[in-house]
Amino acid sequence: MIYDMHAHLWDGQYDKNKKQIMTICENYNVSKIFISSLKDGVERPTEEDITRLNNATWQFMREEPSTIRGWCYVNPANKNALSVLRHGIEDCGMSGMKLWIATFCDDPLVFPLAEYCAEHQVPILIHTFYKVVGQLKYESLGTNVANLARRYPELKILMAHYGASCLREIKPIVPYKNVRVDTSGSIYHRDDIDYLKKMIGVKRIIFGTDMPLISYLLVYGQIMEADLTQEERKAVFSGNAKCLLERS
Amino acid sequence: MLINNGIDINCMWGSWPFRKLYKNKFSDLQQIHKENGIAYGYVSCMNSIFYQDPFEGEEDLHEVLKGTPYQHILTVNPMLPAYESDIERGVKEFDIKGVRVFPTYHHYPLNDKRFLGLCDLLKKYRLPLFLTTHVEDERFDYLLLQSQINIPDELMTFLHTVTDIPILLMSLRVGSIPYIGKEIREMPNVYIDTSCFKDPVACVEELTAELGDKKIIYGSQYPLNVLRSTLYEVTMAKIPEESKNRILRGNAIDFFNYKF
Repeated sequence: MIYDMHAHLWDGQYDKNKKQIMTICENYNVSKIFISSLKDGVERPTEEDITRLNNATWQFMREEPSTIRGWCYVNPANKNALSVLRHGIEDCGMSGMKLWIATFCDDPLVFPLAEYCAEHQVPILIHTFYKVVGQLKYESLGTNVANLARRYPELKILMAHYGASCLREIKPIVPYKNVRVDTSGSIYHRDDIDYLKKMIGVKRIIFGTDMPLISYLLVYGQIMEADLTQEERKAVFSGNAKCLLERS
Repeated sequence: MLINNGIDINCMWGSWPFRKLYKNKFSDLQQIHKENGIAYGYVSCMNSIFYQDPFEGEEDLHEVLKGTPYQHILTVNPMLPAYESDIERGVKEFDIKGVRVFPTYHHYPLNDKRFLGLCDLLKKYRLPLFLTTHVEDERFDYLLLQSQINIPDELMTFLHTVTDIPILLMSLRVGSIPYIGKEIREMPNVYIDTSCFKDPVACVEELTAELGDKKIIYGSQYPLNVLRSTLYEVTMAKIPEESKNRILRGNAIDFFNYKF
């Protein structure tokens, strides 16, 4: 069983992306895919943008109810951010909140959203990405994630892309057991998953791909090649995601 | 798809200065190839990229490869004086099967006279050129930043200048391939490897539709990259089995049998 916890619809490409994602599901037996809808190149989407994007996610969820789950995309700088989140979780049945690059994830604007997620026991998927060139103004890093995790120890956090440069971005989150990482993205260094296992343990590693932007097989191969036992591989592919999504 | 005699045209041995490699012994390479049905590979030495005398790395690689079916690809920096003697010795002493260059680490443009001189020398020795367009994603460079090859202009000019030796374009990004698609399709000496086929979904299906299946050669760039990621991109792609066989073996054979 495979859960892909990190995939996207891109604004204006609903039909194309849906087809790409469903083809992957059918070809490679992916059980569940967790989608967020984003607008390429727009760091701070407006309230209208956010409504349209989340509606696309919700539409996909309704059209493919056995496979597709949704992340509610929120721009914390928008005035209606909390009501967007509440609507996404309570009315649309989305699984958690997605933060991208509108603010750092430890910005005070995020606090009421984090408190809602903690209270309702839903996770936050946080885009976290360090790069030498082209770092975006409000692109969160491991230290930002660690700050949020420290402030809200009961909050369930999924740090996307394992920070991209895991050798640098994992250390800040090591002490915070409420932070898991997903494997999504285009980085396919041979040793990254083994390094994550050493630093934070297998239970905190969750499979995600970032498709359709990134190849599903690229990330799948990464998990298959890492020094994991069969049980550990199962945990990464689905067991750890189920734990993340559990509500008491 | 299970394979049993694949060829990996892009594998490496040695150390990488920017991070620890967990699987960089030659036995690691042999083991993962065996587990995945790859018979042998064309190996270059990572140490040689960074050594001031690269040939010292090549001597080490030669000792490692001795008595195995693996083939030696010599790393050369044409900006160094007397690099020509390395190639001459590589041919005589190591039976090298090609020369690999790293212009993004050695910081020279593809129209540099010394580099073009190297290409002339390869014609003399009837050796292919392994042109590394980048090694790793530049966004994750550490301490030493790679320079960039301008694609398509710089690369296209080079391909139209050096037309008489086989050229393997290594680690070319999928997004840049359409810009030189015509050259890859139509120039008999130009091939690409698969080591940077990572995006978007179904990229191998798209590329074979655009380029055909005769100019793409499987290469992993192991142990820097995940071998199974690069391999699954081919073996699990929804393309004909015949195309997979060409990419995993037949095209490499054609590349080395190029008629000079």
